[in-house]
Amino acid sequence: MDRQQTIVFAVPKGRILGQALPLLAAAGIVPEAAFGDEDARQLRFSTNVHGLDLVRVRSFDVVTFVAFGAADLGIAGSDDLLEFESPEVYAPLDLGIGRCRLVVAEPAAMLSEDDPAHWSHIRVATKYPELTRRYFAARGVHAECIKLNGALELAPSLGLCRRIVDLVETGATLKANGLVEVETIAEVSSRLVVNRAALKTRPDEIGRWIKRFAEVVGRGSA
Amino acid sequence: MTAHAEKTLLPAGLEDALPPRAELEATVIERLIASFGKHGYRRVKPPLIEFEESLLSGPGRTLAEQTFRLMDPQSHRMLGVRPDITVQIARIASSRLRSEPRPLRLSYAGQVLRVRGGQLRPERQFAQAGFELIGATGVTADAEVLVVAAEALAGVAVEHLSVDITMPMLVPQLCRDLGLPQDVNATVRTALDRKDAGALVTLGEGHRRLFQGLLAAAGPADEALATLRRLALPVGARPMVEELAALLAAVRQALPDLVLTVDPGESRGFEYHTGVSFTVFARGVRGELGRGGRYELESGESATGFTVYLDSLMRAVTPPPSAPRLFLPFGTSAAEARRWRQEGWQTVAALQSSPDAAAEARRLGCTHIVSLGKAQALA
Repeated sequence: MDRQQTIVFAVPKGRILGQALPLLAAAGIVPEAAFGDEDARQLRFSTNVHGLDLVRVRSFDVVTFVAFGAADLGIAGSDDLLEFESPEVYAPLDLGIGRCRLVVAEPAAMLSEDDPAHWSHIRVATKYPELTRRYFAARGVHAECIKLNGALELAPSLGLCRRIVDLVETGATLKANGLVEVETIAEVSSRLVVNRAALKTRPDEIGRWIKRFAEVVGRGSA
Repeated sequence: MTAHAEKTLLPAGLEDALPPRAELEATVIERLIASFGKHGYRRVKPPLIEFEESLLSGPGRTLAEQTFRLMDPQSHRMLGVRPDITVQIARIASSRLRSEPRPLRLSYAGQVLRVRGGQLRPERQFAQAGFELIGATGVTADAEVLVVAAEALAGVAVEHLSVDITMPMLVPQLCRDLGLPQDVNATVRTALDRKDAGALVTLGEGHRRLFQGLLAAAGPADEALATLRRLALPVGARPMVEELAALLAAVRQALPDLVLTVDPGESRGFEYHTGVSFTVFARGVRGELGRGGRYELESGESATGFTVYLDSLMRAVTPPPSAPRLFLPFGTSAAEARRWRQEGWQTVAALQSSPDAAAEARRLGCTHIVSLGKAQALA
């Protein structure tokens, strides 16, 4: 019965969390002290708002938690949203944090003799196999994806495959590994995400949170 | 041992429903059908398999890729296993029952099979129960369907019911009225379906404001209606808003306590609908319980229907306490056994005598035992 009352808000661990916390604070959500403790084993945290709990999960899992209604609200990257493509997840608000680009990259040496228009089949290492397959299929290219969870920049130099699809913030990591961007698949930023059934069955409460975050984001960009 | 266990593996998305779940599902279906029946909807039973070309025509075309197909060894024609029953009801209404007086009220329940399970509905086989109101147009017909659906669900103990009303014709109409090119049209619809206001920034100022207004309108019914009326909608779209207002008023009158929300921009999953549509949710239950709305039969007749998915519904139904089972010790006479059953007991008869009848009763999951002519509760 508890799940029918409490709103669960999923926030991503790691890179985005530092940028998300000030937004949460500006919206009036302050988690209990244990939340700041990286070593804590606790995964669910109460907040100063009665009936609103935070869960801290891996960034990719935020979409999964929200899609299944395990969390009602969350903060998720638009890259993860594209990879997961769930009709049960609404993304009503661009929070303007975690900005980066999702790009196709390959070794600089290869670029001169490579014309993307000639591709019919390519092999790509990526964290986003679904999104990558769909992106290339729409252009008539069959992408065979090798799923990696990190250190993608290593793949070309070690001969795993020649191309990668990865997130780029400044491009420094690519450069350091002798890779160049060939094309941009998507501009990425973090979104406020909402479970569809939660928004439909508790329109007042969930709607209020969306509005409040919209105000916070509006203030920030003004 | 392992070899045997392997043989019990079922294909993905298929399962053996066991007691008490299987019993509860059957009871729920019966009660839904009875509830539809009380409103004058009479049951039909189409076959499980039919010719692909009739199954996948009209409203069925959107389900083509979800349909299992097989070759009929007899006619050498392609058959499809129904992925949805609504299509079959539409076929019945416009063929065999075409000269029945309108409006025609039909109900159905049965199993459907789909090629792929979804994320939220991994089941590939599940039961559907629903009803169709055929040959009636207008708000009164839509209101009847929505009210019958909500009452039936409340009747099977679904709590915190919530109905979301969508207008799948509104956005296409707006795009036409505004003369938006095809690709912009697609961007707008995807953005509205995902509630992604950010994706609308590429539009011109006026259009952006209109579609963002539609997004903002989604929410509790009365506020949504007020927001919609304030928007600068083109003339072609205005009657739709007033139709919505009339529907809300009619439903409110019949069911004042029902939670109603409106989402004017959403059209995903309602591709074959031609009028107001609705989706039923229950708080705390993932996914939708059922959906309904107005569509057109191939004959051109208008129909409004509702269908509930039993797999989702079962997650929302509060299971009743399991029925007491009465153990009849060996040698209980047939007449006495019948008497107990007539009193309403489920009886479990001993097939041979045992030294400790009470222990045997417990072993078989009975709650009561007949002792000295009385039903006694087992500790």
